[in-house]
Amino acid sequence: MTTDLVIDAKSVSKCYVRGVAVLDDVSLSLKRGEMVALIGASGSGKSTLIRSIAGLIPIDKPSANGADKASAARIHVLGQPIQSGGRINCSRSLRARIGVIFQQFNLVPRLSLLTNVCFGLLGRLPTARGTLGRFSDDEKRIAMQALARVGIAEHALRRANDLSGGQQQRAAIARSLVQGAELLIADEPIASLDPASSRRVMDLLADMNRNDGLTVLVSLHQVEYAMKYCPRTIALKDGKVAYDGPSSALTPAFLNRIYGAESEELFLPSFDAGTVDDDLPPLPPRKSAFEIERMSA
Amino acid sequence: MSADIHLGRVKPTVSVGGWGSALTAGIRIVGLLIAILIIVQALIVVEARPQDLISGIHGMADIIRRSVPPDFSKLHDALWPALETVDIAIFGTLAGVIMAVPLAVLAAANVTPSRVMYYLARGIIGFTRAVPDLVWALFFVTAVGLGPFPGGLALAVHSIGMLGRLFAETIEHMDMAPIDALSLTGARRIQVFTHGILPTVLTSLLGISLYRLDENIRSSLVLGFVGAGGIGFQLLTAMNLFQYREVSLLLIVIFVIVVAVERLSALARQRLA
Repeated sequence: MTTDLVIDAKSVSKCYVRGVAVLDDVSLSLKRGEMVALIGASGSGKSTLIRSIAGLIPIDKPSANGADKASAARIHVLGQPIQSGGRINCSRSLRARIGVIFQQFNLVPRLSLLTNVCFGLLGRLPTARGTLGRFSDDEKRIAMQALARVGIAEHALRRANDLSGGQQQRAAIARSLVQGAELLIADEPIASLDPASSRRVMDLLADMNRNDGLTVLVSLHQVEYAMKYCPRTIALKDGKVAYDGPSSALTPAFLNRIYGAESEELFLPSFDAGTVDDDLPPLPPRKSAFEIERMSA
Repeated sequence: MSADIHLGRVKPTVSVGGWGSALTAGIRIVGLLIAILIIVQALIVVEARPQDLISGIHGMADIIRRSVPPDFSKLHDALWPALETVDIAIFGTLAGVIMAVPLAVLAAANVTPSRVMYYLARGIIGFTRAVPDLVWALFFVTAVGLGPFPGGLALAVHSIGMLGRLFAETIEHMDMAPIDALSLTGARRIQVFTHGILPTVLTSLLGISLYRLDENIRSSLVLGFVGAGGIGFQLLTAMNLFQYREVSLLLIVIFVIVVAVERLSALARQRLA
């Protein structure tokens, strides 16, 4: 088993309704430290693929027909099976090494950002203390550092549902940071965000990929973001891999060849990849330890 | 975008034509006839006799005359049973909530650990709700004797059923996505409950419990009639002894308690929302 393959998926198929394959014999692998975009029009199966890799959806079991192919179907993450034979591996130690980011952020709405981010530590804390939510000052400091890193430390004590989508998404990223994830799987993380927040979130993912060595698999609806942020892109069409290679090859003409009329859906109406950052303030500098301590007090 | 397409597909199946409106008119007339039939049979079955009510007006006037003025000298004796009534309701609600929460978790289809537990919990909740609190009170009076304790037990057990069902429904209607996300961080099942489910539904559960307290106050008045303590027992005694001036005083005390608790519970629920 090669452990430098962070995601190793072979012959993944999935039908929700008999005979209608959402994923049809999809194989993909990600090496440690890669940042890969998964693109495709609505209904191309990218969300299903991402959720299967995250261990949220069981893929189809090997069936009688085509036994040799189906029996090879597997998804290994970080060298361990995340699911096998239609059953999901619920090992908490593996789960804690995988961060998952959703389109709808999925923080616990009534709790503060700080508490939500602290929950990233639950996989590592003693059960009783984690259950009671008694986080130590050091643990809160770790959470505050993560919130400062994503630039929302000043909102640490506000309720998650009082904040904007972009802020909630950054908090979800902070939770993955605290979790100590080695692989970050993001399911359309920017689909419900405005362009400025989208860029912030993508900048963060790219930064974590570059500086923390996280492997990132991110599904995106718009190909511009894939080209700007991800060196490699996997394009899905009708549940099959239509393209897997450098993002630089994704010219409109090339996409038109793969997707036909559908390709229009993959481009933003007005997106100027060259001047993207001009109107955006830079990410805030990391807060000093003193400031963080004051805020968590 | 996909939602628009979906709506577009659904639209043609809703056809509104002359046929449809004639049919709805027919259904309305039949519905009205059925409603009238139901009301008439109810009047017959309860042997409703308005003329008796009119001829009995002297009896009623007599009782009312004998009830005024309320005997305020008995107020002092009424205070302890009144407190007992309130405390029976508080005990019953509290004990009911404590037992209903774990049962509701087992009885909520989206978070139950197993099918067996689900049906077991649903069974307990259904049974405790189906048996009226008055019957539970009779049962506990037989078991532990007269007094406020059997009243409290009766309310607690009946509340399990009422609260358990509402709690379970609240949990079932919860947005599960944050809960899934939490379990993906490597949190244990119990931690997903304490940090994901509980904070999300807590205010709803408190609101439901306060409403239950309000209902239990009124129930505990009636429970006194079967010897389960409180001001209801006092009321029954006074009525049996034809002490109508004491009865009217007790009714005033009951009115004050019920309205006060109702207002407090409504106020507290408003603050929670």
